Amino acid sequence: MEKFSYVNATSLEQVTSLLSDSGWGEVMVIAGGTDLLGELKEYIETPKTLINLKTLPGMDSISADGSGLKIGALATVADIAMYPEIQNHYTVLAQAAGSVATPQIRNVGTLGGNLCQRPRCWYYRDETVDCLKKGGELCYAIEGLSKYHAILGGDPVYIVHPSDIAPALIALGASLKIVGPEGEKTMSVEEFFTLPATNPYRENVLEPNEIVVEVQVPHPKSNAKSFYLKAREKGAPDFALASVAGVFEMEGNTCQAASIVLGGVAPAPWRSTEAEAALTGKMITESVSMQAGEDAVKDAQPLNDNAYKVTLTRNLISRAAMMAAK
Amino acid sequence: MAIKSHVQTTINGETVEFLCESRQSLLEVLRDELHLTGAKEGCNNGNCGACSVILDGRLVNSCLVLGVETEGKSVETIEGLAAPDKLHPIQDAFLENAALQCGICTPGFIMSTKALLDSNPNPTEHEIRYWLAGNLCRCTGYDKIVRAVQDAAKASA
Amino acid sequence: MESWGEASESRLIGKRITRLSGKDKVTGKAKYTFDINRPGMLYGRILRSEVPHATVMGIDMSQAEALPGVKAVIPLIESGKKLRYQGQEIAAVAAETDDIAKDALRLIQVHLEALPHVVTEADAMAEGAPQIRENWAGNQSEPSINKNRDVAAGFEEAAVEVEATYHTPVQTHVCLETHGHVAEWEDEQNLTVWASTQGVFGVRRDLAQYFGLPPNQVRVITEHMGGGFGSKFGPGSEGEAAAKLARITGKAVKLMLTRKDEHLVAGNRPSMTQHVRAGATRDGRLIAYDMRGYGTGGISSGAGFVGPYVYHVPNTRTERVNVAVNAGNQRAMRAPGHPQGAFAMDSLMDELAEKLGMNPLEFRRINDSSEVRQAQYTLGAQEIGWHRRNNVPGAGNGVKKRGMGVGSGQWGGGGGRGTEARVTINADGTVEAVTGTQDIGTGIRTAIAIIVAEEFGLAPTDITVKVGDSAPGLPSGGSGGSQTTASVAPVIKTAAAAAKQKLFEHIAPLLEAPVADLRVGTGIIYVASDRTKTITWQQAAGQLGMESISEGGHWAEELRKGVVAGTQFAEVEVDTQTGAVKLIKIVAVQDCGLAINRLTTESQINGGVIMGLGQALLEERFMDAQTGRMLNANLEDYKIPGTFEIPEIKSIVFDTHRKVTGIGEPPCIPTPGAIANAVYNAIGVRIRELPLTPDRILTALAEKKA
Repeated sequence: MEKFSYVNATSLEQVTSLLSDSGWGEVMVIAGGTDLLGELKEYIETPKTLINLKTLPGMDSISADGSGLKIGALATVADIAMYPEIQNHYTVLAQAAGSVATPQIRNVGTLGGNLCQRPRCWYYRDETVDCLKKGGELCYAIEGLSKYHAILGGDPVYIVHPSDIAPALIALGASLKIVGPEGEKTMSVEEFFTLPATNPYRENVLEPNEIVVEVQVPHPKSNAKSFYLKAREKGAPDFALASVAGVFEMEGNTCQAASIVLGGVAPAPWRSTEAEAALTGKMITESVSMQAGEDAVKDAQPLNDNAYKVTLTRNLISRAAMMAAK
Repeated sequence: MAIKSHVQTTINGETVEFLCESRQSLLEVLRDELHLTGAKEGCNNGNCGACSVILDGRLVNSCLVLGVETEGKSVETIEGLAAPDKLHPIQDAFLENAALQCGICTPGFIMSTKALLDSNPNPTEHEIRYWLAGNLCRCTGYDKIVRAVQDAAKASA
Repeated sequence: MESWGEASESRLIGKRITRLSGKDKVTGKAKYTFDINRPGMLYGRILRSEVPHATVMGIDMSQAEALPGVKAVIPLIESGKKLRYQGQEIAAVAAETDDIAKDALRLIQVHLEALPHVVTEADAMAEGAPQIRENWAGNQSEPSINKNRDVAAGFEEAAVEVEATYHTPVQTHVCLETHGHVAEWEDEQNLTVWASTQGVFGVRRDLAQYFGLPPNQVRVITEHMGGGFGSKFGPGSEGEAAAKLARITGKAVKLMLTRKDEHLVAGNRPSMTQHVRAGATRDGRLIAYDMRGYGTGGISSGAGFVGPYVYHVPNTRTERVNVAVNAGNQRAMRAPGHPQGAFAMDSLMDELAEKLGMNPLEFRRINDSSEVRQAQYTLGAQEIGWHRRNNVPGAGNGVKKRGMGVGSGQWGGGGGRGTEARVTINADGTVEAVTGTQDIGTGIRTAIAIIVAEEFGLAPTDITVKVGDSAPGLPSGGSGGSQTTASVAPVIKTAAAAAKQKLFEHIAPLLEAPVADLRVGTGIIYVASDRTKTITWQQAAGQLGMESISEGGHWAEELRKGVVAGTQFAEVEVDTQTGAVKLIKIVAVQDCGLAINRLTTESQINGGVIMGLGQALLEERFMDAQTGRMLNANLEDYKIPGTFEIPEIKSIVFDTHRKVTGIGEPPCIPTPGAIANAVYNAIGVRIRELPLTPDRILTALAEKKA
């Protein structure tokens, strides 16, 4: 890694003020560090200063009541996965968090870090490759090896968003709170992420001097079932080839409402309104669930090596819907 | 001149002080500054678990923790496991089950096992695989490691 | 005539004995090369090419040299020479800290003139491809052709034929301890090197030659090392660089490779593509085999692979070509040439069997002349429940489908001469066994202790075993080719026997019995014809007074034998919706001659099977045609098996004769073929390339549907 000075955060004002002194990359925040230190070791990022957020009090707590969850951005992925209320009532979130990486990484990685993590794309992570996302001319995945890249929403940068927790939160209708020098603002987790067509250089709407501080998750309806299905090449650690976060409000095996968000197939967690529409108000059968899957991927634009993701995504959606119907 | 921070931490129950640059990982500090070479460098970015240590009671990859971040915390490494006169039951179980060959992954596996058994004294086989999924071994094929953990659990019961 | 004796006579040999040196490993005390710290030691790092092909126009090291804390910077390539693969060495640095060394690398300016590159076989062999290797038109070697009898006539006799192409990619060793050395000069003429190596004496020889020193002035030490799998022979340019930096600076230098370096330059298993046409007669005999194959072993090395393999074909023609690409060279990787060839052959066998309407196991029996393997087939089939196997591949409507498959392998082993060893009995009763082999994780240290302890009536923990050090001057070969035990064991045994003989001669008068009448028991020596006459080992040794007994051994060929056979039966479950292949159970029946320590032998089988699983289901080097770089030079996207991948493993040490053969490599050979055949049996679609990742499974299933 390049040298950097390391500063403990004392308050949100101090943090946003330090971040405001420069643009992207000069001063960066570090929470768990499991993604950021990886980037520093590969010289993808070379900040002069790291601000340690872990010294900010109270930002790692999880609290739950009848109306929902409040999770501090510094809560670890492990804490989220093991929280009883989350395991019992927000199953998709517990499963997503439990599927992240390895125990070592879950113990240290934070919610904020998981949402804000950068792509795993092997062109992006290669210091010598001047890819489009890093300010260059070309997305190398287009003509290159695209087995792990996007089939939806890619143009012009075909990374996939690596987070498991993000699709789960969006499926649960979560929102998050951002703090900047002007104060705080709240938005849905869905709105937090952006597609490359809007901004090829970043994956979310954060300004350089803003940080995520908290996520709020409304309590699912009493008749809601939720799952996180993650297709991988090896058991762990492995990022998703494709994943489905599904929340299904069921009446018997009729789906009254569904929230289906895909991971590993698009540059942002991908809310499939098409799949949701195909299931809403329907009795879920094999063919209904398959149709939902087909609808979800009908506009997919695979690259040279990732057409299999189209089939895989369709099948995962079908599987999730069938699980809801049981 | 490199700017170094002074860090005071507890390692295996003893207060330890060291100087390090902010960019030095805990793994580098343990191995190069403190000469505690039990934790190993296998990949240096969190994929193999050979560097696993326990930090404030939680299993972590020491290659992804900065040395300066251990200020005021407590670190357990493989060197602290055995009593002066006898091995820890986990260490015995690994030996008896032939759960090691070249042995380079072994300290990491033993620390992961300790972290597991400290919180779950009676894990199922599936749980053992799940909680040891962050440790890679190229020699043994894992089967004997899983059995060693099962035996260690029984012995500690 | 030496002999290991009957199994019933063995107290220790062939039993399950806990590994010596295990205690140091489980406590973290064991020092690997990476752990060595010497007073005043500097850290060495190597600057490597980031481009696949370029001419070096100049190297400016001045900024690196000026960085405070840097003690030496040396070039590793001359101007005008070519860099021919990503990772090739450019320069090396020694500095006070590892971070300073890494900083210094980034200050070295390299002026390059880019050259066109090719990094895949397809690109290298394409019409109009840039020629990247001198004298290799089309980036291909001259074909190497082999013929047996008459393949055309053979095809005339064939009732069925299969024509297929099989492919395996480049794999890397992924030793968890990377390559590296710590080098320290005592003075201008004496060098000590701690090396992570499979061959202590090979490193000594090569470094002595490099520096023009007599070999006994180079000491190489490998007390423990973290895996080699064939890649760690010789010092390599990194060992030479470490020693050179140490000489220039007058300090010890530790130079280890990074994980990325490992993938790029520390060797690999070459790729293989085989176009095969093969035929069998109506009654199930292989009759003709015509194969054109190629692979890449990197920029300047070859891509060997077996074919045909194990099963006998009378009429064959094979044509092999090596393809050059701008990538790091191959190095022997566990059973070089065999697992990939076995995958192709075992797949082919199943495809022929299907055309014949025969059970693939029966088809193998007809064509396999190894009596050992015939017995192994019976045992393995019973263990896995071969009768439960799908009769119709891909039958059933379930989402998750199960299938079974079989694969086979053979290996040489048997060791070689050249090992010297010494067994010493001291007057205080302690025993030492010394030889220059190295324990790379195989447990040879323990095997040596077992053999000596058996000979003396002692416990293995009573024996001090010293290996991994060239200083005693007792050479041994490298630990590769599954040769270690068979090379070392006979010498150790005969040394121990000779030492015992000397001890007997010493104490025979005391016991008032002829030497020939003395025997060892547990901790005692007694007279066979009068068991009341007995003394303890301690007492016997005490008779030596001021002296000790020290004897060498010889490589008694009758104690070892080459050629082992193995077979594996795999049961898989394929999730046809996600393409995930799960290995449910694998039965590995492996002969290795005499297993000195059954426990460590089983470990080797387990480990070999999992490495085969990695080859079958996960491992693949990805090269990017645009940039000429390896895309997965890490452990994130180069995936090796973890705890979730392990199946139920039944490892059966198949006893044949009582001579030492070898076990390191054979168990990883039959695995990929068995798994590939099991996958076919499960889903009814034949995939002829590895690894069988979800993308390949789903693509194949989609094509079947279409």
